[in-house]
Amino acid sequence: MNLVTCLVLMAALLFSGCRGEQPAPQRAEVEEGGGGMVIVAMGDSLTAGHGVSFEQSYPSQLEKKLNAAGYPCRVVNAGVSAETSSGALARLDWVLTMDPDIVILETGANDGLRGIDPQVAEDNIRRILGTLHERGITVVLAGMRMVRNLGPEYVARFDGIYPRLARESGVVFMPFFLQGVAMEGRFNLEDGIHPNAAGYGKVVENLFPYVVQAIEKHRALEKAGGS
Amino acid sequence: MKLRHLLRDILHNRGQAVIFTLCVALSMVSLVAVNSLRRDVRGVIAEDAAALQGGDVIVRSGGEFTPALREELARVVGEGLATATTAWEFHSVARREGGEAVLFSNIKAVSGGYPLYGTVELRSGRPFAEVLRPGVVVVGQALLDRLGLVVGDHLLLGEGRLQIVDVVVRESQRPVEFFTFGPRVFMSEGDLAATGLVGKGSRTSYRWLLRLADPGAAETVAARLQARAGEGERVASAATSGSRIKRFFDNLLFFLSLIAVFTLLLAGIGMQSSLAALLRRQVKTIAILRALGAGNRHILGHHLGLVLLLGLCGVILGIGGGLVLKGAVFQLLAGLLPEKLTLEASFADLLQGLGLGLTAVLFFTFLPLAGIARIKPAAIFRKETAGGLRRAMPRLALLLGLLLLSAVVVVQLDDVTTGLWFMAAVLVLVAVMWGLAHLVLGGLARLDISSLALRQAVRSLSRPGNASRTVVVTLASALAVLFSIYLVERNLRAAYIESYPADAPNLFFLDIQKDQREDFIDFVGGKAEIFPVVRARLLAINDREIDRRREVERRGDSLSREFNLTYRDDLLADEKLVAGKGLFGGNRAPGRLPPVSLLDSVVEIGDMEIGDTLHFSIQGVSLKAEATSIRSRTRSLLYPFFYFVFPEATLKAAPQTFFAALKVPQGEASLLENRVVSRFPNISPINVGESAVELGRLMAKLSLLVTFFASLSILAGGLILVGSILATRLARLEEAVHYKILGGDTPFVLKVFGLENLVLALQSGGAALLVAQLGSWALCHLALDISFRPYPLASLVAVGAITAVVVALGLLASLSVIVKKPGAYLREHSS
Repeated sequence: MNLVTCLVLMAALLFSGCRGEQPAPQRAEVEEGGGGMVIVAMGDSLTAGHGVSFEQSYPSQLEKKLNAAGYPCRVVNAGVSAETSSGALARLDWVLTMDPDIVILETGANDGLRGIDPQVAEDNIRRILGTLHERGITVVLAGMRMVRNLGPEYVARFDGIYPRLARESGVVFMPFFLQGVAMEGRFNLEDGIHPNAAGYGKVVENLFPYVVQAIEKHRALEKAGGS
Repeated sequence: MKLRHLLRDILHNRGQAVIFTLCVALSMVSLVAVNSLRRDVRGVIAEDAAALQGGDVIVRSGGEFTPALREELARVVGEGLATATTAWEFHSVARREGGEAVLFSNIKAVSGGYPLYGTVELRSGRPFAEVLRPGVVVVGQALLDRLGLVVGDHLLLGEGRLQIVDVVVRESQRPVEFFTFGPRVFMSEGDLAATGLVGKGSRTSYRWLLRLADPGAAETVAARLQARAGEGERVASAATSGSRIKRFFDNLLFFLSLIAVFTLLLAGIGMQSSLAALLRRQVKTIAILRALGAGNRHILGHHLGLVLLLGLCGVILGIGGGLVLKGAVFQLLAGLLPEKLTLEASFADLLQGLGLGLTAVLFFTFLPLAGIARIKPAAIFRKETAGGLRRAMPRLALLLGLLLLSAVVVVQLDDVTTGLWFMAAVLVLVAVMWGLAHLVLGGLARLDISSLALRQAVRSLSRPGNASRTVVVTLASALAVLFSIYLVERNLRAAYIESYPADAPNLFFLDIQKDQREDFIDFVGGKAEIFPVVRARLLAINDREIDRRREVERRGDSLSREFNLTYRDDLLADEKLVAGKGLFGGNRAPGRLPPVSLLDSVVEIGDMEIGDTLHFSIQGVSLKAEATSIRSRTRSLLYPFFYFVFPEATLKAAPQTFFAALKVPQGEASLLENRVVSRFPNISPINVGESAVELGRLMAKLSLLVTFFASLSILAGGLILVGSILATRLARLEEAVHYKILGGDTPFVLKVFGLENLVLALQSGGAALLVAQLGSWALCHLALDISFRPYPLASLVAVGAITAVVVALGLLASLSVIVKKPGAYLREHSS
């Protein structure tokens, strides 16, 4: 692969979704398979599983764990590498065409890694949560913490986004998506930022109780709605 | 007396003698020049590689280095094997003192002695090491522009406050750090602690750069450090670091070595054919000498003397030419190559060149000289002028000669396996050419041709005693080599050098959202090229699931990664359709799957074809499409390209973003970046202007080197061409006389000769082109690992040009023959 290819690929990896109103997909159909609840894992490369096989990404591992634990569901990997929160907001309508019961939202890390004003990420995530709430979708918000090299001021602003939004919206909140994984050599690829298969195993272990909580919450809401 | 005899023979055969001498000279020049230059160039290239990577050996880690590796490094430095410097790199948000402005920047914290290789040029012109002291920073102009600062102001980095003291104007490492966000900030490693930016929880690239006392020991030192390296710590030498850079330099050196050997072989063929032609004219003289009682020793001694005399002239001319050339090359490359490259040919280079050159002379002249022993006195009475020189080579001698030549090639290519493969390829080449010449000449002889001139031309090619087949094989082999050099050079250029044209975009903007697209275009004055991008994974081809495990292990690109789909209805300026009716297969019946156009490179990776059904997952949503066309890129421009292109209707609802490429004057780039980011805070700019300029400079330099070496072999090829035509002069003379005696006029004779040369040239050129295309394809695919393009038009033009040159040279060489009066010729030769 030559440098130009490399450059363009890298450029491509940094692309993300779009914003604003979009018509429903005209030709695309929701992938078939699995019964039970539909959980959409929406996020960036940490969700897409950059550098590991599809089966090792956290949505695949989570689906297996949930089904084994008696929670029949399908976890759709709707991760897009290098996506910022602007991209996530822009493709929300597309994600909603999958009619999810639960959305696990993991976004914003790329905003931080590119030094984008934290206010942009906060506004975007707030809008995403608002839309999901309106549609009656249960949300697990995965919190993110920014790397220290961006400076204490920036890091403080960024790290404050998630707890604040969780309090505001009352969503199920996992304080830090990479708890026990970030900066741990054995759980990460050589780039030091993306988890390896074992790292995703750890992520799923941490995430599992929050997802179970969301499933129970969703069931309770459905029950309440149905009665 | 003997010398006078030699001189008389030389004067009598001055055409061949001149060619022979020039061939010897050229082989000397090219060997000495190539060897000394190659060594220097190897040094320059190694230095370039080191300058790009920052050291002879580079140690990297994503975290702090382990104590074991630190200790080993201290030992390496303590033993005097290397000097070391550190370069910690990370991104941070730089702030303007006394203002709100912040900027995402690329920070490089270095220790004393940086850079060990290459340069960091400052606007003040002062040495970098003198300027970068504790408490200060040196920044890119873009940072000043975007934060509204000037030299002398203070910059806030984390908890640190540092004064801006200078501006970076050039960095030799930029090309390998091509795609980075934010302008550069250089700071002293000593100030890092005060900033509080590096440590637990930081994302930093730690790098040790080593400059070795003996750069040749890079692999040994790297291995020593690697042995103590822990998890995540990587050690590489500049030569092995950065696969694409290494591949380029490896390819360049290999190509130069190949050219050197090719030049040697071409010059050798020239020597052989000119000497054979010279001796062919001597057959009768030799036969008469034999009839008069002269022994083998006397005759061989005389001709060996002839060869040695001419060879000596060639050697002297070669060394003289080399000295002149040295000056010329130095002038040519002045300003491009580092001053270190003195182009001085050492005594060892001269000796090696002399040795290799004389070996080549020995091998290539042995064949014709050995034929002398077989000339019988009866040759006086025979009409054949070349028969006496045939099949005279003892097999053992031939084998020994081949072994000797193989040894020369192995020495020159510096690798036994490659050298032997090369020799095998050369033998196959000659055998193929021989076979092709045999087939074509045999076929032509059996043709029933009505035109008298053409019939005569064709018949004279297969006349007993004519050297047509030898000439064709020699010419075709030489041309095949030349065409191959030409094709490989073009492909190398296309793969590496033309990828960076001067008008390439220098500013990219990522993450433009759909509702920002129009605003953005208006904002930048409509001069941006905009590409929509939809991220997706390929799940299956014709219901055959992508084997992700196998794909992950694949070398190069794989089908397992996320792809960028795009939509548009037309081909891009640098694309062409290679299969299919239009991008989307013309009018399609309703109800069919949506069409998708594929780029040829992904077709190769996935073994796809038109009509295949491709199943994508667009972020969890399924899309099946039918492949309707295959595209190819015509230029390797720095433009985005897409494997999969859909009609707008198919993807317009899909989540998408836009990518913009702009070419703006470098001075205006920062301002534009600022304006765009202020207006659209989510859009990220990437300025590759400085990197592109640096890369362009490097590529231009290397391109010139390749061209220079290639031109040496083209010169040798030209000599062979002239030599081959001169070789048939004697036969033509006789024919011209015979045609005239039989009533043919000058235009008729001209026509016959012209047609004969035309057939000869077309046959040689055609066969050469065929073999060159196959050979270059193999070389590009197997040895250089770059994609191959056949350049059909340029190849045909080359064959046309060669044909024109052969016909013109042939006619020129025959001119004196044609104007010769038959009577005069018969009087001269009837005795």
